[in-house]
Amino acid sequence: MPLLKEDTHAQQSKLAHYCKTGIKPDLIGVIEENLHHYRRLVFNIGIDTIETAYPITYRFLPDEIWDKLVYDYYAEHKCKTPQVWRMPLEFYEYCVEKDIQSKLNMPFLNDLLHFEWLELEVHTMDDMTYPSFTTKGDWLNSPLALNPEHRLVKFTYPVHILAATELEGKAGDYFLLMYREKESGKVQCMDISILYAYILEQLQNGITLQAILTEADTLFQINDFEMLKEHALNFINDLKQREFIPGLLNT
Amino acid sequence: MQLKDNKHIGIGFRKDFSEEFLASDVLKPAFIELAPENWIGMGGYWKKQLDKAAEKYPITCHGLSLSIGSPDDLDLDFLHKIKKFIKQYNVQIYSEHLSYAKCDNAHLYDLLPIPFRKDAVKHIISRIKQVQDVLEMPLALENVSYYTPVAAEMDEATFISEIVNGSGCNMLLDVNNVYVNSFNHKYNAKEFITKLPLDKVSYIHMAGHEQISDTVIIDTHGEAVIDQVFDLFEYTTGLLKPVPVLLERDFNIPELKELQGEITRMETIVSKTWKKEHAIA
Repeated sequence: MPLLKEDTHAQQSKLAHYCKTGIKPDLIGVIEENLHHYRRLVFNIGIDTIETAYPITYRFLPDEIWDKLVYDYYAEHKCKTPQVWRMPLEFYEYCVEKDIQSKLNMPFLNDLLHFEWLELEVHTMDDMTYPSFTTKGDWLNSPLALNPEHRLVKFTYPVHILAATELEGKAGDYFLLMYREKESGKVQCMDISILYAYILEQLQNGITLQAILTEADTLFQINDFEMLKEHALNFINDLKQREFIPGLLNT
Repeated sequence: MQLKDNKHIGIGFRKDFSEEFLASDVLKPAFIELAPENWIGMGGYWKKQLDKAAEKYPITCHGLSLSIGSPDDLDLDFLHKIKKFIKQYNVQIYSEHLSYAKCDNAHLYDLLPIPFRKDAVKHIISRIKQVQDVLEMPLALENVSYYTPVAAEMDEATFISEIVNGSGCNMLLDVNNVYVNSFNHKYNAKEFITKLPLDKVSYIHMAGHEQISDTVIIDTHGEAVIDQVFDLFEYTTGLLKPVPVLLERDFNIPELKELQGEITRMETIVSKTWKKEHAIA
C-alpha cells in the first residue's frame, strides 16, 4: 500500500502541472501571490537551457514563434532526463515528433536543431577509448584507426555551412563530419562530399582503403582508379594532419 | 572528512569560473562541491577540468534531481550512476534537497515544496532508506527555501525533524534558506534552528539571495552573503560540532577574490566557534 495518500499526491501533481503550463491550480493553503515564482523559476530554467543549446535557431525564429514553441514543449512534453544539460535533446526530438518544421513551413528546422545538438553532444560526450594504432605500415591495405569521438551525419540542408537565413531552396545531400580534438576538447566540423562520407563510413567498419576505393570506383561510376586514389589519399592526409586518423589499427 | 589545509569552508565548483579557479590560487577552499548531474557522463574538456579539480581538492556532491519528495518511484538507474560517480571521485558527503523536482514522470529541474504532512514524512523516510541502501552511505538532506507552503498539516521544523530522525539520514543545514524562509514566512530564524535535529547536521550551506519585494526573498545564489546571514551562521555554528561549510555561488559570479573574502569571513567565524578542530568526522 502506498505511503503517500492520493490527496497529497494530487497536491504535488497540481503544483507540478502549474509549473509546466502556467494554468492556475486549485491548491490547499498556499500563498496565492507567491505561487507564480515557481512557474517563473521552473520555466526560466527550461528556457535558458534550450536557448543556450540552440542559439542559432533561437535567434532565427521570430520571438512569438519561439516563445510559443518553448511554451508548448514545456506544457506538453515530460522531460525524462534527470540531467538538465541533456534535456535539449528531448526538445529536438519533440520538434521532430510534432513535425514542427512543416507547421512552421521551415523545412530545414530539424536539420538546424540536429546540427546544434550535435555540437553540444560531441563537445560533452563521454570519453571514448582510442583504438591501439601504429604510424608505420601500408596505409592502403591496413584498416585505419579513427578518432572515435565523432559523428558522421547526412543533412538535407547545409545548416553547417550557410546561415539560417540562406537555407531556403538549398535542399540536397550534405554530409558533415564532426569530431572532438583529443587534447583540446574542441569540436571541429568538416563539410565533406558523398564520396568521402562513403569512404569514412567504410573505414569505420574496418575496411581497408584499397578495398573501399575499388568498390567506390564502380559505385560512383568514376572509372579512374588512380585519380580516385590520389583524391582519397589527399583526404586521408588531411584527416591525419587533423589527428582524426592517428595511424593504422594494430591488429 | 579530511579537508584541505585543516580549513572548513568549501566552494561550489562552477564551470563559469573553473578555468580561472584551477589556474590560480586566489580561491583557497577546503573542498569543492558539485552537482553530480552536471558531470555524470560528461567527457572532453569538462572531464579534464573536473579531474584537475579532483586532484587538488576533496569533493562533496550536492544533487539536484534525486527528487526525494516525489510521488514517483525513485530512479534507480540514475541512483546507480550517482553511486559510481561518488566512488570514482571518493566523495565523502552526498547531499540532496528535501523537496521534489520530478512529478508524474516529468522532470522540472527546480525544487518544489513538499506538503508538510504525516503521509509525506512516511513516504520520504522509506525513500531515504532505499537511497542509503543503494549508495551504502548516509544521505544528507537540505532544508530548502520555499515561497509558499502547500497543503501543510504541520510546521516546517517538525516536518524536517520527523524525516531526519525517522530515517537516520543526516541534515544539511542551509543557513541562508532558514533566513529566507524566516523572512518570507515571518518566523524567528534562531528559534527555528533550535527546533532542528542539530545533532544530525553534517554539513552547512551559505549563500546569497535577492529581496524582490517587501515580503519576498528569492534564494538566488547570485549575490554576496549578507551580514544578517553571517550573524545567523555564527549563531548556528555555536550550536554545532564542526562540520564542512559550503559557499554557494551559482550566478552573477564576482571576482574570485570577492568569493575568497566571503570564505575568509566564514573561516574567521568558525575558527572562533570551533577552536582547534583539525579534522572533521
